[in-house]
Amino acid sequence: MTDFCNSQTGFVSVSTTSNRGFTPEEVAERCLDKIISVSSDANPVIRDQALAYRNNIKALIVFYMKEAIKSDRTTIFNALIEAGQKDLAEAVRRL
Amino acid sequence: MAFTGNYMCTSFKQQLLQAKHDFTASSGDTFKLAMYTNSATFDASTTDYTATNEVSGTGYSAGGGTLTNVTPTTSGTTALTDFADLTFSSATITARGALIYNTTTGAGTGTTDTVLVLDFGSDQSSSAGDFTITFPTADASNAIIRIA
Repeated sequence: MTDFCNSQTGFVSVSTTSNRGFTPEEVAERCLDKIISVSSDANPVIRDQALAYRNNIKALIVFYMKEAIKSDRTTIFNALIEAGQKDLAEAVRRL
Repeated sequence: MAFTGNYMCTSFKQQLLQAKHDFTASSGDTFKLAMYTNSATFDASTTDYTATNEVSGTGYSAGGGTLTNVTPTTSGTTALTDFADLTFSSATITARGALIYNTTTGAGTGTTDTVLVLDFGSDQSSSAGDFTITFPTADASNAIIRIA
């Protein structure tokens, strides 16, 4: 007997911004969707635990994402200083 | 003249059986995602990337962006693969859909063999911002490419 073989395509989603980039919170939501998904018809006790876990993980991701942004700005600040762009460097530091 | 849904290209299915596509991370083929206006007409019979009706604007270059492969895996009796999300930064563009195509099919170079047609459902725009394509959860029910 030969099993029926079916090839399928998933659905992408698109997120856009205008005159800004994504915030750490917005990026964290996308990240969380990759880490954990909670079925709406899951057992309520398990669903609540999963949602609580998801919120805790989100806070952690947002915190370290902000740390990464601050650290990257330090790198950019120093690169601009080395390039003689003191005013630009100061503007980046103040972001 | 419009996008009419998502399609896995028939030529891609044939080429899969000819072992011409490798989705392995790092060592696999180079896949790209190009975006189009709703004037484009693509379906399962689409075989190659085209620049006709491709979007243009700040932050986007013809040919689109290079995707990061995720090594195929299995879940139950389903085989699946995924790509990392793709962002066009500081972009001012409007797109209705996209093509994923392989630029190194069969270990070649500069190939244009289409894999998937992706319909965004409506025009999506960014203005001096980020334009991000998020791939679905890589599981047996949602992954971008699945063989069950």
